[in-house]
Amino acid sequence: MVNPVRNISKPLNPTGIGLKYNPASAAGPGSAPEGLLPRREGLWPGGSSGIISNGVKVKYVLIALILIAIGTGVSLTLFQSEEKRVKKQFHLLSEGVSREPGENIFTMDQKIKKMGSLFDETCELKIPAYSLSGLLTRDEITGYATRGRLHFTQLHLKFYDFNIAFTQEGGAGVHLTARLTGKTTTGENVEEAHELDCLLKRIEKRWLFDRIEVVEVLKK
Amino acid sequence: MAVNKGIRQFFFPSLTPAFLIRAGCIAFVAYLVFGHLLAPFRIKGHSMEPTYQNGEFNFCWRFRYLFSKPKRGDVVVIRFTGQRITLLKRVVALEKEEVEFRNGRLLINGKELDEPYIHYPYNWSLSARQVEPNSVYVVGDNRSGPMQNHFFGQASLPRILGGPLW
Repeated sequence: MVNPVRNISKPLNPTGIGLKYNPASAAGPGSAPEGLLPRREGLWPGGSSGIISNGVKVKYVLIALILIAIGTGVSLTLFQSEEKRVKKQFHLLSEGVSREPGENIFTMDQKIKKMGSLFDETCELKIPAYSLSGLLTRDEITGYATRGRLHFTQLHLKFYDFNIAFTQEGGAGVHLTARLTGKTTTGENVEEAHELDCLLKRIEKRWLFDRIEVVEVLKK
Repeated sequence: MAVNKGIRQFFFPSLTPAFLIRAGCIAFVAYLVFGHLLAPFRIKGHSMEPTYQNGEFNFCWRFRYLFSKPKRGDVVVIRFTGQRITLLKRVVALEKEEVEFRNGRLLINGKELDEPYIHYPYNWSLSARQVEPNSVYVVGDNRSGPMQNHFFGQASLPRILGGPLW
């Protein structure tokens, strides 16, 4: 009986590049020594360039990787992490507090309204340096902020050194540095830095300030 | 020519593996020394005058209190907020001691403290208070300004980063 001889290299290797496949070397050291196993040419389906062992073309893998990267980027942009959302609230607070020279009443009103929306219905404030301590309503806080801003012609509030820890009760404890710089209406330059301990609560998918405490480093 | 080549080699060294390893080692040692052992800082303010002037440059020796606690009269570097903002103050009272300012005199446990580093007169008055455990009481050397404008008080020991190198 004569076995039919089939030239299998052609249909499976369209580019016609001959492949020298050595199973011994592919299996790694310790396997059958080279020469004992017969060399087969063109038997491996992935023999042509641009094809991986299971027959998937490299370009498809690359396209898949690019799509995954794009998808990850889009999802990170659209669906921000909770940490980013918390940081964003501080960024908004910074924008609300900051004041540029020549700010008009309309801008000020907008900023104050926006700032008020960042706080919970009541928020606990503890600022020992200004003897301010207690549970304040949103309106009281915006009132304080409005009066405080009036003392400055220029005011900037920046936050640094974020240390965010999410609590089991669904809150976010934030330990950070706040730096306040500005110029008072009397022309005096102000530059202050404080360590803050804040608690934000997630209410209706928004992180709202529930407690702000200025850490008293030196207790008189 | 050889001198020129040497100068050129010094300022524009060839990026050989040996050079990169040396540069990496230097960067790592510099990070360890200036990031964790001798942190550089610049004094901003007049609260420690005349001992330390505004604008002076110094290093914080981080291991100063590794095996000991601050003593009365020591100048210490206190972490104020974050890792970059620090305070330079003098320890005047230790834990459980009673501190009081009376008409420009500092009293510790009811006895007036001799402070040769004070060069400007002051008139502060603050009722007696006890220093909490694991804390020290720190004040600046320049007390000529109003008490309300001066940062001073009890600092917890973990906040003390070290002492100035000189």
